[in-house]
Amino acid sequence: MTEKKYLETHEWYLLSENIITIGISDYAQGELGDIVFVTLPEVGQEFFKGDSMVEVEATKTVAEAYAPMDCVITEVNTSLDSEPETINTDPCGEGWMVKAEVKALDDSGMLYQEYESFIS
Amino acid sequence: MVEPYLSPLHNLHVKNNAKFIEFAGWNMPFSYSGTLKEHALVRNDVGYFDVSHMGRLKINNVSIDILNSLICSDIKNIENGKALYSIFTDNNGCALDDVIFWKFNNYILLICNAVNLNKISNHLKSQNVEFQDITKETALIAVQGPNALKILDNLITIPESFSCLADEIFTYARTGYTGEDGLEVMVDIKNLEKITNFLDSYEIQPCGLGSRDTLRLEASLPLYGFELSEDITPVEASLKWTLSNKEPYLGSESINRQLHTGDHKVLKKFTIDSRNIARSGTKVMAGGISGIVTSGNYSPILSKAIGFALFDSDPDTDLLEFEIRGNLVEGKVIKKRFLS
Repeated sequence: MTEKKYLETHEWYLLSENIITIGISDYAQGELGDIVFVTLPEVGQEFFKGDSMVEVEATKTVAEAYAPMDCVITEVNTSLDSEPETINTDPCGEGWMVKAEVKALDDSGMLYQEYESFIS
Repeated sequence: MVEPYLSPLHNLHVKNNAKFIEFAGWNMPFSYSGTLKEHALVRNDVGYFDVSHMGRLKINNVSIDILNSLICSDIKNIENGKALYSIFTDNNGCALDDVIFWKFNNYILLICNAVNLNKISNHLKSQNVEFQDITKETALIAVQGPNALKILDNLITIPESFSCLADEIFTYARTGYTGEDGLEVMVDIKNLEKITNFLDSYEIQPCGLGSRDTLRLEASLPLYGFELSEDITPVEASLKWTLSNKEPYLGSESINRQLHTGDHKVLKKFTIDSRNIARSGTKVMAGGISGIVTSGNYSPILSKAIGFALFDSDPDTDLLEFEIRGNLVEGKVIKKRFLS
């Protein structure tokens, strides 16, 4: 198990063997405001790095979460369908969005310290 | 770069951990505890909004005839002590601003949108209306919600709906912009603590412009710059009920022509059942009639997306097709208010 890494587009990912878990950062949820709808991908859907995977509608604005590397979805957090606000309350824990099998490893995300200086 | 204006309540907002947004040249609170929490507070209990950014002009009664010739409603024949929602129209009958008047014995208070204060001031000056701009000398606080009046009853005499009153300290009216009952209270900056201490003693929570927007949208109320602009008349904005002015006024010929021919743009309310919000600027089709979304957001009461869209002419179908980021999304026209 490695540490969470962050992208400039405000997703986080956690790499564990060949599976990544993906969500959005606490900073991102704060900027979005109250999240009211989340549109998740289907299991088996394939994404290339930078593709839009998830659509997040909030009271303030809409945002997309992008694939941090080439991957295939293995699991989606279906509890977000009925409780999208979990992303606001626990963005880096219970508010995870998808798990995916890595097809081409690209572990170039920032560690939290670096991300923190990026957003400040 | 011009520094934004700060509300007289700014330090209080900072103390209350507000998230700020720049709005019409003012730095105002967007939210405190979160837009949905604040929305629910106002729907179910009570909350207060600092709306000190809105323009406040004290108009001399001697100018009432001129004033009446600039708006689509009849300010002359309503009683003193009444409040009135109306629209300043231009030569073409289009909206320069939508405003609230509080009509007192010796003056009329005009409350206009912050973004239009200079425009309306210049318009009044050009027509030789006598007025004084008291925006910066005062604060304006809206206390809204089903429990608002029984709390405010401990501070001031509660007026009838759409009426206004003044005592030595507070000038206020029973109007609002949330769909809930409540008062909008104006106070001289030197007496500001008299209202802020009162709000604090009853633990009334502050709410920001984010929830003010979701509340007004759910209450089916228009917002200048979105539903209303210098390209749209009160008839087109579904505000025919404001046309109480029987005398000629600026642009009344165009407005009467639209009423007669029915040949004009049409503002409609809509809902969407899927997990999409059609936001301002989204293209929409109703049969062969094209339109554009003027405001769109999530309705916490209906748990779905709602909004207003302006169509080129009156659609003959209620089925809508929005183009949201390349996808076609279905919605439907709603004839009644969003809140029953």
